[in-house]
Amino acid sequence: MRWFNLLTANIRKEYIELKRYLPNTLSMIITFYAIFLAMFFGIKLVGSPDSMDTNIQYVIVNYIFWYLAMQVMNFIGWEITNEAMRGTLEQLYMSPMGAWRILLNRLAGSLLINISIIIALLFISMLTAGQWLNLNPITLLPILLVTLVSMFGTSFIVAGLSIIFKQVNAFLQILQFILMGLTFIPLTVAPYLAFAPFVKGIDLMRNVMIYHMSLTDFGLMDYAVLIGNAIAYFVVGSLIFLKCEKITMNKGLLGHY
Amino acid sequence: MDTLIEVKEIVKTYKKRKSNEKILAVDHVSFQVKRGEVLGLLGPNGAGKTTTIKTICGLLSPDSGTVLINGIDIRKKRLKALHHISAVLEGNRNLYWRLSVLENLEYFAGNRGFSRKEMRPLIEKYLHHFRLEQKRNELVNRLSRGMQQKLAIAVALLAGTDAILLDEPTLGLDVETGYEVRDLLRYVAKEEGRTIIISTHDMPVVQDLCERTVIINNGKVVVDDRVENLLKLFESRAYSITLNKPLTETQQQLLMHRFPLLNYSTESHQSLLQVNLEQSEDIYELIDILKSDQTPIESIDRTQIQFEQVFMKIVKEGKEHALV
Repeated sequence: MRWFNLLTANIRKEYIELKRYLPNTLSMIITFYAIFLAMFFGIKLVGSPDSMDTNIQYVIVNYIFWYLAMQVMNFIGWEITNEAMRGTLEQLYMSPMGAWRILLNRLAGSLLINISIIIALLFISMLTAGQWLNLNPITLLPILLVTLVSMFGTSFIVAGLSIIFKQVNAFLQILQFILMGLTFIPLTVAPYLAFAPFVKGIDLMRNVMIYHMSLTDFGLMDYAVLIGNAIAYFVVGSLIFLKCEKITMNKGLLGHY
Repeated sequence: MDTLIEVKEIVKTYKKRKSNEKILAVDHVSFQVKRGEVLGLLGPNGAGKTTTIKTICGLLSPDSGTVLINGIDIRKKRLKALHHISAVLEGNRNLYWRLSVLENLEYFAGNRGFSRKEMRPLIEKYLHHFRLEQKRNELVNRLSRGMQQKLAIAVALLAGTDAILLDEPTLGLDVETGYEVRDLLRYVAKEEGRTIIISTHDMPVVQDLCERTVIINNGKVVVDDRVENLLKLFESRAYSITLNKPLTETQQQLLMHRFPLLNYSTESHQSLLQVNLEQSEDIYELIDILKSDQTPIESIDRTQIQFEQVFMKIVKEGKEHALV
C-alpha cells in the first residue's frame, strides 16, 4: 500500500506540474512535431520515390521512440539536477521509502503522462504522413515493457552521474543526440548496437509496426538479447546509482549544486 | 526518559578540492538526546553543526563513529532509522515552489508512503495550528518567507516522526514571525512531546525553547549542559558594583591587570564596575583592591545575563565544560 501511495503521489505531482507548466509542455510538443515535419518533408523532397512509404514509416517509428527514450533516459538526471537546484533533493533522501524508489515512481508517473503525449504524437504524425502503422498492443506491449526496463536502467546510470556532478545539463543535451543515433541507426547497419540499451527492443517494435511481424516471428536469440539487455542494464544501472549515492554521501555532496 | 538519538564519537573529514588538504570538520563528537527533549545545537560558523546534523539525518557518512536513532544504526539501516526522524534543513528551500501549500503537504506525506485520505485530518490540524488555512491553495512562491518556513516545519511534522531536526528555523525571519515560529515549536515540543534538535545562531530561541544545549567549536563538543545550568553558572559570576567614590589610579591599574575584561565608568560622585569573574572566589580579591583605599561600596548586584553572552564567552574562551 505504501508503494501505491508513493506512486499516486508522484503521478499527481507530475500531472500538476505538467498543467502548471502548460506553455512549456505545449511548446515542447510543438517543437517535436516541427522536427517530424522537417524530416517528413525532407524525405518527400530528396528521398527515392520507390522506398518513400517505408522511409516515412521508419521516420515515424524512430522519431516516436527517440522522444520516448529522451523522456525516460534523461528524466531522472534532469530531476536530480532540478531538485538539487531547488533545495529539495535532501528531503527526498530523508524519506524512509528511499530516494531511488521515489525517483523510480516519479519516472513511472512521468512515463504514464508521456505515453499519452506519445500516442497523440504518433497519430498526428501518421495522419500528417498518410501512413498507418501496425499498432497491435498484444505484440507491442510486451516488447515495449521489456525495452522500458533497459531504459530505466540507463536512466539510473545518468542519475548516478547527476547526483555526483549535479551540473550535467550539457551532457544531458549531448545525450539527446546520442539517443537519436541509437534510435535511428538500424541494427542491419550496426549489428553490435543490439547490446546498447533499448536498441534491440526498438528494432523488434519497428519490425512489428512496419513489417507487421508478430511475437512468433522472432527467434529465441532475439528474445535472449532483448531480455538479457534489459536485465543487465537495469542491474548495472541500479548498482551504479547506489554506488554514486554512497560516494555522494561520503563526500557530502548531496546538498551541493 | 529513554535515549532517542545517540551520537557516538563521530569523525568527519573533507578534502579540499584543489590542494587535497584534509579538513577535520567534526572531531569525535558525542552526545545523546532523550525522548521528548528539546536540544539546542550551537556553534559559530564552520564549527561543524551542519555536518553533525546531516550525519544524524543519514545524509552524510562519517569517517568513523555511529549514530543510533531509536537504537537503529543509521549507517547500517538508514531507511529504517528514517521512520523516526524528519528534518527542515534548508528552510523554505525544502518546498516545491510551484505547488500549493496543500499540494506540498500531500506530496511529502505521499513520499513517506501515506495516503492523502489518511493524512487529511492531520493536514487540517497543522493548517489550522500554523495559520495557513486561508493559504491552502496558494502557490508556495507567492507566500511570505515566514509562511514558507512554517509550511516547511509543518511538512516535517506531518511525517509523524519521534524526532525533528531544524537547521536555523528562524533565519531571515522578521521579529514577529520569529516569535510565531518559536510559539509553534513550543507547541510541538509541549503538546506533541516530540524530540527536537535546533541548530541555530538565534540565542533567544535557545534560551526560550531548549532545555539543554550542545555547543560545538572547531569540530569538538565544548559544552553539553542544561541551559539553566549555564545561565546560573555565568550569572553567579557576573557582578555590577556601585561605588560612592571614584577609584584611584593605582586601584584602576590593579583591577585592569587582574580583571582585563572589567568595565569601569564614573558618573558625578558615583562609579560603576561591571565584571564577569572567572571563579566566584575572585570577588574577594576584587573587594580587597577596593578596600586598600577605603573605597565605599554602595551596592553589589548580580547582573542579569543573556544566553548570548554565555555562548560568546564559551566560544571565545574555548571552555571545556562537559557536564550532565
